Amino acid sequence: MNTKTRQRVNRILLWVLIIVMAIWMLFPFYWAINSSFKSESMLAMTPATFVPRDPTTKQISLFFRNYEAVFTNQAFLRAIVNSAVVAGSVTLLALAVGAFAGFALGKLRYRGKTGTLYVILAMTMFPAIAVLTGLYAMITNLGIQPIPSMIATYLLFSLPFTAWVLTAFFRELPTEIFQSAQVDGASPFQTFYMIMLPLTAPALVTTGLLAFIGAWNEYLFALTFTSIAPASRTLPVIIANFPSQFSMQIPFGEIMAAGIISSVPLIALVFIFQRRIVAGLTAGAVKG
Amino acid sequence: MARAGGSDLAQQEQRLAYWLLAPTFIILLVIAIYPLVSVFYNSFTNAVFASTTPTEFVGLQNYQTLLSMTIKVVPPKLDEAGQPIIDEATGQIKYESAVSVLPREPMRFRQVTQFNLFGTQYVLGATDPDFIRAVWDTIIFAVATVFLELVLGMIVALIVNANFKGRGLMRAIILVPWAIPTAVSSQMWAYMLQPNRTGFFNTLFWYLGLGSGEIPFLSDPAWQLPSMIMIDVWKTTPFMALLLLAGLQLIPSDIYEAADVDGASPTRQFFQLTLPLLRGTIAVALVFRTLDALRVFDLFQIVLGQARYSMASYTYYQLIQNRQMGYSSASSVVIFVVLSIFAVAYMRSLGVKSDEH
Repeated sequence: MNTKTRQRVNRILLWVLIIVMAIWMLFPFYWAINSSFKSESMLAMTPATFVPRDPTTKQISLFFRNYEAVFTNQAFLRAIVNSAVVAGSVTLLALAVGAFAGFALGKLRYRGKTGTLYVILAMTMFPAIAVLTGLYAMITNLGIQPIPSMIATYLLFSLPFTAWVLTAFFRELPTEIFQSAQVDGASPFQTFYMIMLPLTAPALVTTGLLAFIGAWNEYLFALTFTSIAPASRTLPVIIANFPSQFSMQIPFGEIMAAGIISSVPLIALVFIFQRRIVAGLTAGAVKG
Repeated sequence: MARAGGSDLAQQEQRLAYWLLAPTFIILLVIAIYPLVSVFYNSFTNAVFASTTPTEFVGLQNYQTLLSMTIKVVPPKLDEAGQPIIDEATGQIKYESAVSVLPREPMRFRQVTQFNLFGTQYVLGATDPDFIRAVWDTIIFAVATVFLELVLGMIVALIVNANFKGRGLMRAIILVPWAIPTAVSSQMWAYMLQPNRTGFFNTLFWYLGLGSGEIPFLSDPAWQLPSMIMIDVWKTTPFMALLLLAGLQLIPSDIYEAADVDGASPTRQFFQLTLPLLRGTIAVALVFRTLDALRVFDLFQIVLGQARYSMASYTYYQLIQNRQMGYSSASSVVIFVVLSIFAVAYMRSLGVKSDEH
């Protein structure tokens, strides 16, 4: 076999792998879309069909009622608002507070720096389940409402994460900018606020995006804190235990429709910001 | 003068650093350290959530109930002649019931599992078999998912590191499983794993001539863990792949050119160049993922509920369904201790860069 044919074989092999991989990654999502366009009788067909088909005529037919049902489901609509409020607030808070910490950790010189770096790194791995009982007791004793509770407690994972990732980004900024601003008479805080912060705007977007996705997807705290407050439930809680208005059985068609609606914003973000998300994720986990 | 000005500036810098760090540390003190301390404290009490009965200090009793285990020999059933009774249908020896050999005082032990070693039947008993099973299942889950994700993640990383048209698109596609909320992906998979041919997997297996088309993936104990592992591998392999990709991109390409010149095959290049150079990245990714897998909650809670627990979903169950605050605090502490050991290993392997020294 000469080099040219071998290269061609390798190329074909690579593409086979790429296609297998793409199908593996996307198929469950495709199946959810497929099921979301099926009526209950279409969902009950055996064997399951790979496109929505009419049970009697076997013709392809799309059923849109699941989406209608979901978009008129008050609990679901409220959950969208709740999720947006919680995830948005958590992101802004984590960025504001985390940027301060990230700047100090990444650029300033002070005693005890190694210790603080270790604390932040350790906190990025803090298991939420370990403090669940303590937080729940605290929230109940203080009588804090579920939505503010979620906003405050999500900082447990989003704040150390933002601080850690932003530390990596601040550290990469050239120290000369910082020094020359100081020589020009700017105070360290002015340097941070007027020069460094604008420079890290792209990093803030990346980190904010990841913090948002994390908060949007959070389930454990949301489930616990809203266990007696249905009006405050967020999307993951609603989707995991879907309250159907019509169906007596598990309304899989509606669940799939609701799941797709709540995933689409995230998938859009992933496609738009692919490069940044990859950079941010790996900066958070790998770079020391 | 200059030196005095410099140290003044340095002091100003240090003060600023403390001010900037203060909000983060105060927040973490309130939402992490304080609740953690209260969990430790509660784990030594019999506190019941939202109850009027006074809370009492019970020492290590919660931990004792959670963790007590014993192994006993199960004797075979004997006939009048003192010979073991053989089950005629299976040809196996019949054993006494495990309850008869497990201790009942001071605490009642129940069966976790039975096993046969060198012809003797043993029973593993525990005072809380659900917790012991949850710990065991979570460990099996963590080991299996992390191993599979490492292998598959490596393949994915190598693919998206190769040069081909549409590589950017492919990198976006592999982010899809990662970005979908776990609640959504758990429901998606639960539907694909339905116990009849309305589910995708039963349909597929049936088309392939495997199984009856009615495999109870989520209710048969033998299928439950493999199903969980499959779902998690789908969801988390992309993340693993990205970590490995970051490591791959740090390897200078000229060493591969040199290897090409030397005529080393791609397989050899992978095992003798890529893998050794990636060792640090792999170590970090492994510990990071193990930590994540050991605290799995969403997937178990949504797909299996109370049919089978992970450590985290068991803790949640004790707190919310049983209101056993003291007891669930103790299991939180156990999880915390197990995870801390891994976290320390992780930080050791990562190290922290600081310009302090």
